[in-house]
Amino acid sequence: MSSAFFLNWFATIPDYAAPLLLAALGLIICERSGVINLGAEGLMAVGAMSAVIVSFNTSSPALAMAVGTISATALAVIFGIAVVYFKTNQVLSGLAIVALGAGITGVAGRAVAHQPVPGFERLNMGFLSEIPWIGKIVFSQNIMIYVCIVIVIVTWWAIETTRYGLKLRAVGEDPATADTAGVDVLFYRFIAVLCSGAFCGLAGAYLSIASSQVWVEGMIAGRGWIAIALVIFARWRPLRALAGAILFAGADSLIPRLQAIGADIPVYLMLALPYVLTLAVLIIPAVLFKRADVSPSALGLDYLRQDRH
Amino acid sequence: MKRFGMLLGLALLLITISPQAHAGFGIEGDLKIAYIMGSTRQDGGWGESHGIAIQAIEEEFGVDVAVTEDVPEDTVRVKQIIDLYVRRGYNIIIGNSFGYSDAFLEAATEYPEVAFMNAAGVTNNQKNLESFYLRTYQGWYLAGMIAGAKTETNKLGMIAGFPLGLVNWDINAFMRGAQEVNPDIELAAIFLNTWYDSVKEGQASEALLEQGADVIATDLSAASALNAAEQLNRFSVGFQIDMTRHAPTGHLASVLLVWAPYLTDTIRKIRAGEWEPSEWGAFVGIETGSVALGGVTGDLPDDIRARIEEARQAISEGKFTPFDGPLNNQDGDQVVAAGESLDDGALWQMNYFVEGIVGTMPASN
Repeated sequence: MSSAFFLNWFATIPDYAAPLLLAALGLIICERSGVINLGAEGLMAVGAMSAVIVSFNTSSPALAMAVGTISATALAVIFGIAVVYFKTNQVLSGLAIVALGAGITGVAGRAVAHQPVPGFERLNMGFLSEIPWIGKIVFSQNIMIYVCIVIVIVTWWAIETTRYGLKLRAVGEDPATADTAGVDVLFYRFIAVLCSGAFCGLAGAYLSIASSQVWVEGMIAGRGWIAIALVIFARWRPLRALAGAILFAGADSLIPRLQAIGADIPVYLMLALPYVLTLAVLIIPAVLFKRADVSPSALGLDYLRQDRH
Repeated sequence: MKRFGMLLGLALLLITISPQAHAGFGIEGDLKIAYIMGSTRQDGGWGESHGIAIQAIEEEFGVDVAVTEDVPEDTVRVKQIIDLYVRRGYNIIIGNSFGYSDAFLEAATEYPEVAFMNAAGVTNNQKNLESFYLRTYQGWYLAGMIAGAKTETNKLGMIAGFPLGLVNWDINAFMRGAQEVNPDIELAAIFLNTWYDSVKEGQASEALLEQGADVIATDLSAASALNAAEQLNRFSVGFQIDMTRHAPTGHLASVLLVWAPYLTDTIRKIRAGEWEPSEWGAFVGIETGSVALGGVTGDLPDDIRARIEEARQAISEGKFTPFDGPLNNQDGDQVVAAGESLDDGALWQMNYFVEGIVGTMPASN
């Protein structure tokens, strides 16, 4: 294996990692407020499909990303109203969102299925992009990768250091106490659900606009579920999600590369790798940090003021 | 195991076709045709190729074909849809999924007065049900000749779904065709373990391009594979429908699935009361135009063009097949001796790569 092999491999990792990371960040915000969101797959599907409709009709990838984000947020409004205000079962509602997303996109996306659309070019930052190795890996990605890095940092900063982040975490850990302290528990949860919709929508739009520049029914292909696994691997921390996404993307992007050079490795094992890895990211933290359950204490629990004790 | 049964059957068919004098199947009254599809007519590949056939049927017989799309491979659901069509008086029902096989067999037994056909199916009853598939490898062989002539790096890349016989023969035939015009050629093949993940299809193509492949062939349907090649000014080969629009400059050819010849011919026989469904299903190819090349690049040397036409002729006339011996597998072991060829049963069970292909065949060990 030549050094070019590794250079090409490393340079593609951000493209594999970005959608997983964006979706995982949205889910982290949502779950830190105490709401389990299993609807990522459906939200991403809506984001991917609506972005392609816009990109196909306007040839503006940036506008497409925005619309993808907004339309998935709109779907998240339904989920939010259901689970936050009407206290429906969070797990079942999430699964319903998956089905709803698949259904909506199958019907609404017909006209744009398999239509190539414009995406994002890899940037050329002059001399920065010329630096050996670093130039290709760090300074020659598409614009959304840099947006994604900014989003990770802002999300981390907002959750871990701001007053709003503190309230969000309080709502997820002990809603009764937060309520007593004057935090609007349901409102915070609702906003957190909307954030997960927006982030998942952006992740879906990334897949259709930046990664493949085409929309095909069912193209999310389980990435929403992998994002959910990443959240648990990251132990609900944004920066750990970044590390997890890179790890996962590294393994996932290695598979076709090894096949392309004809490396003599068991193909069935490689094809199973994403799933083996998903299992591994769930098991490893459980083994390594068994001292405490770090999931938000009120995760999955409805909050009713009259039940306060 | 059902597929295996069909494979064995297809092999036997070659030796046991015997003229039988019983009257064929026919229907009474006007043609009422229904099509049950696993995907939509805009799915970019399989469904779209069937959509083209539906149009041809409508034009030829002057009827409106009723279509139900997105029907999952669920025997109960498929059977319910068939029941409904039969109750409404439909007398020819066509499916297009492997997973409809059981439902079609059940329905054919229950409604002996209705004709049933199922693409990629594996059930047949010799009375009113016939499954049908295309010899896609014939088209891939010709596409391989084009790719072999056009490549400058002598490296081809191909992405495919699952390591099944009907996928492996596409890859192998593509390589055989390329080797025919360019003995130094190398082909790297990647299985993606999915039929519809456009993201993976694009990313795997990029990996092949990085390794120096200058022709990307897709055995799948997403535009992302062709787009990846187009962006680097490399060549591409499409499948199922004419994919020129995905790569206007680099597209060399697409291997087309043409269902209309078999379907119109069969419907004509049904109308005339002469249909005799085969025990082993129909397996048609280039000789009836059921497999063809579309969107062939204009930029091709005359001698290559002539050789492709010659090969097409020879395959149509049955004088030549892409898997005539001597044929060695990837490891250099002889699979077919000189002077021999693969029968249909061996085709369906093809679980190896031919010599010169880089990649690991999961089914071989």
